[in-house]
Amino acid sequence: MTSIQIFDPALCCSSGVCGQDVDPALVSLSADLDWARGHGANIERFNLAQQPLAFAQNTTVKAFLERSGAEALPLVLVDGEVALAGRYPNRAELSRWAGLGAAAPSPAAGSCCAGGRCC
Amino acid sequence: MNPATDAMNFLQQAPRFLFFTGKGGVGKTSIACATAIELAQRGQPVLLVSTDPASNVGQVFGIPIGNRITPVPAVPGLAALEIDPQAAAQAYRDRIVGPVRGLLPEDVVRGIEEQLSGACTTEIAAFDEFTGLLTDTALTQAYAHILFDTAPTGHTIRMLQLPGAWTGFLEAGKGDASCLGPLAGLEKQRAQYRAAVDALADPVRTRLVLVARAQTSTLNEAARTHAELAAIGLSQQHLVINGVFPEEQAADDPLAVAIVQRERAALRQLPPALATLPTDRIPLKPFNLVGLDALRHLLGSSKPAVTDAGPPLVPLVAPNLSALVDDIAADGHGLIMLMGKGGVGKTTMAAAVAVDLARRGLPVHLTTSDPAAHLAETLHGSLENLSVSRIDPHEVTAAYRAHVLATKGAALDAAGRAVLEEDLRSPCTEEIAVFQAFSRIIREAGRKFVVMDTAPTGHTLLLLDATGAYHRDIVRQMGSTGVHFTTPMMQLQDPKQTKVLLVTLAETTPVLEAANLQADLRRAGIEPWAWIINHSVAATMVRSPLLRQRAHHERAEIEAVATRHARRYAVVPLLQSEPVGVQRLQELVLNGAPHERAM
Repeated sequence: MTSIQIFDPALCCSSGVCGQDVDPALVSLSADLDWARGHGANIERFNLAQQPLAFAQNTTVKAFLERSGAEALPLVLVDGEVALAGRYPNRAELSRWAGLGAAAPSPAAGSCCAGGRCC
Repeated sequence: MNPATDAMNFLQQAPRFLFFTGKGGVGKTSIACATAIELAQRGQPVLLVSTDPASNVGQVFGIPIGNRITPVPAVPGLAALEIDPQAAAQAYRDRIVGPVRGLLPEDVVRGIEEQLSGACTTEIAAFDEFTGLLTDTALTQAYAHILFDTAPTGHTIRMLQLPGAWTGFLEAGKGDASCLGPLAGLEKQRAQYRAAVDALADPVRTRLVLVARAQTSTLNEAARTHAELAAIGLSQQHLVINGVFPEEQAADDPLAVAIVQRERAALRQLPPALATLPTDRIPLKPFNLVGLDALRHLLGSSKPAVTDAGPPLVPLVAPNLSALVDDIAADGHGLIMLMGKGGVGKTTMAAAVAVDLARRGLPVHLTTSDPAAHLAETLHGSLENLSVSRIDPHEVTAAYRAHVLATKGAALDAAGRAVLEEDLRSPCTEEIAVFQAFSRIIREAGRKFVVMDTAPTGHTLLLLDATGAYHRDIVRQMGSTGVHFTTPMMQLQDPKQTKVLLVTLAETTPVLEAANLQADLRRAGIEPWAWIINHSVAATMVRSPLLRQRAHHERAEIEAVATRHARRYAVVPLLQSEPVGVQRLQELVLNGAPHERAM
């Protein structure tokens, strides 16, 4: 099964409560991940502040950090290869990577991204 | 058995666990030590656990203790253990960060360390250390009583109780990154935390002793702690009011008389929630609470004769507040932030600095977050160059919480939402919300003086700076004006633009707490500009032997601040009454040194 790994920046809390404003990308990500997992996708998530060893032990992630720094996170690996960096994936991307194409009835059919958000 | 100590309510039918909690400097550790001695003398084996970062328990008992259970030979039946919360937090950081040091880029490692450097992490790390003592293990079986000179906060306990906080952490280690950063590296099993929390909430096993002084601010804080911990099941609570000034010792010393009256007034207006608790009062002792003999007398009502108060007091020679304001005024404008623990008089000091600047004809905006800001409010419109504003910390924090819950919380399931709500009850949240509310006023500091009675900690500033959120916020605010800007962090780091004044008291724990705040700010590249030692008895001329003795103790602390901690400092005397109004504040600024005072 396809493995999707998301490497988060070091957030003091994933909600971003400590920041001035909550990052809306994190809000929708939670919902999208729930949806994808519900459809059988295999997704792991790592927070730099909490599981740094996962970053250090993965040569791809480690090289990425050395090259671009922690500011360039998040990083998404699909089967160990870089699929996306610098932003979080949307539902359509998760669906495509996980091969859920057929099982991905977008709640907002016709809109360019799922989850009812407009681009 | 000492018949006098038998009269102390909080010692009656002492349960297995006794927690002493209260603001820094109220005497928790002394009372915990005295209690340990008393219970051990009754023939019950006692373990005393100190989590005071400057624990002097070893010094009290004349043996080195440290982070292992050590029998105290001088008191048969007593053993002690010192947990240094800072060291525990460092060990905890090392556990997480250690394995990646040298593997990941250095700035990445530093960023991770900062995430784990907040007050919450320190508290969780200390809790992690003593959680084993709350569950029955071979280690603790031998003791009839285990005494702690601290208690976890309601926030920590509630977090540990939330199932959502643990999701995916200890069990799987993957899954959604939880909000609970500080819980990430916990070593022990979740079951053990649950058992520890259950033990805390069990009235048969656990008693909480709220230690306070006869001062409104510490009593209010005790009332808050009472409500918060009672809500999560710690229903067995006692109140101990420590260091009450004995009326008969106040004779013909105007300051002592004023202290007695102020304490009486504070006790008359005891918060209703505290009034129903079993209460003990411990009179102020005429001796230093060091050594076994002194501690044996602490809980007794016997009155050892007032010892000689030492050599005659020579007037303290120390800079007054006015000397500091001279230097502040020279820059013509800037942000002045007063920082310190609750109850040290930040708002009064902010008002005094503001009044003295305005009196010199400089434009000043005094802004306060003190919920009881009558002091600042009486100043409004009293001086031509002085404007006063106030933000309500509860209001802005509630608004901030509502905003986060409405945005982030909307997409969460019930368990996730519960964790987020608890996250939003952390002290950091209030700090951020208040500072954010002040940010508009702070921009005025480019053309006038802005004096604030609060400041964010270095930890919060580093996090805000790291996430860039604060930066973005300012860019948004200033973007349209077209003026050049520095980042807020740069503004705070530049002593020409921002001066942080640390307010403290001339007592061991408050000085240590201020030094910790200073170290935290330095981490963020901010050097506190000056220290203010408030409520100093040494800066007055007193006759009462009790007060003269206190004045002597203060000298050592003032000396430590002057030579070890502060670049500049000022000493402000303890006053007979609260300085309300321009006139009184002005006197406070000028009358720093006792020889200038007309008593």
